[in-house]
Amino acid sequence: MANGGGWRPPRPCEAYRAEWELCRSAGHFLRHYYVHGERPACGQWRRDLASCREWEERRSAEAQRSLCESERARVRAAQKHGLVWTPRQSPPADWHLPLPQDKDS
Amino acid sequence: MAGAPDERGPGPAAREQLQQQHVGCRVFSEPPAQGMPQQGFLSSFFTSNQKCQLMLLKTLETNPYVKLLLDAMKYSGWLWSPGQTGTVNPVKMIVLCQNNIRNQAHMSRVVTHELVHAFDHCRAHVDWFTNVRHLACSEVRAANLSGDCSLVNEIFRLRFGLKQHHQTCVRDRAILSILAVRNISKEVAQKAVDEVFESCFNDHEPFGRIPHNKTYARHAHRDFQNRDRYYANI
Repeated sequence: MANGGGWRPPRPCEAYRAEWELCRSAGHFLRHYYVHGERPACGQWRRDLASCREWEERRSAEAQRSLCESERARVRAAQKHGLVWTPRQSPPADWHLPLPQDKDS
Repeated sequence: MAGAPDERGPGPAAREQLQQQHVGCRVFSEPPAQGMPQQGFLSSFFTSNQKCQLMLLKTLETNPYVKLLLDAMKYSGWLWSPGQTGTVNPVKMIVLCQNNIRNQAHMSRVVTHELVHAFDHCRAHVDWFTNVRHLACSEVRAANLSGDCSLVNEIFRLRFGLKQHHQTCVRDRAILSILAVRNISKEVAQKAVDEVFESCFNDHEPFGRIPHNKTYARHAHRDFQNRDRYYANI
């Protein structure tokens, strides 16, 4: 988390509002149940929106801390499952080679 | 994917992308597995290859799933590169069966599905030919993230289910895809999918979420474009 005058919320407040509204929609409820078999939890998006607005209005340190912790929790949740394969550091060696001649088009 | 296709037609940028991405429309000699393509009034004015090309251009130009996948590969320097002479590149092509792709939505889904494989090939050491678990993982991801297993598509296939049915669909379609390209038994394919499912079903890169329709894909694209600010401020 960047401290001092350079910090700003990881997402624009409008993005938190859009995510919260999408999460609350009937369509998302149906799709989330179709995928996960349970209702979606939208409270964190609402809290993040409130924190974002509080930071925009009053530059609250508590709001900054809350937003950072929330987003870090999202990143941890996305990374908690082990990978099946080894990540690359660079593209495949043959990626930039030309294709075979196209005789069929 | 739900929602009507965008009304904008393909432009010069999409045509350039088509040439650079080496995506082509071809007819294969085997009979189509899913019946004849739709025949509308205007379809008689275009060959199937022309229709395929037009649908492909529109997908490249307007579809948010495809645009995000291409941007994610561009960002990592895997798409725009000078050519070299010497040998052929058998792993960089996506070939579309023009006699099997029924409509614009189907085209978008197929291109998204194949680009997920291309993305996986770019970002990881995927052993496509000798490690069935690697193949299974990419097929799980492609079925999960392309819209193949949306509720609407499953209903059209007369496969009805609601609670967690998406996961059932992803498992089944991954097994079918593996069996289509590997001479192995269904039990071996099923075992591979079961072993990797937990990890690969929850790997949503580069979307960051399961893109249920174009709205979710646009949100994901917005988040991708915002990633520098995001990671600098958490």
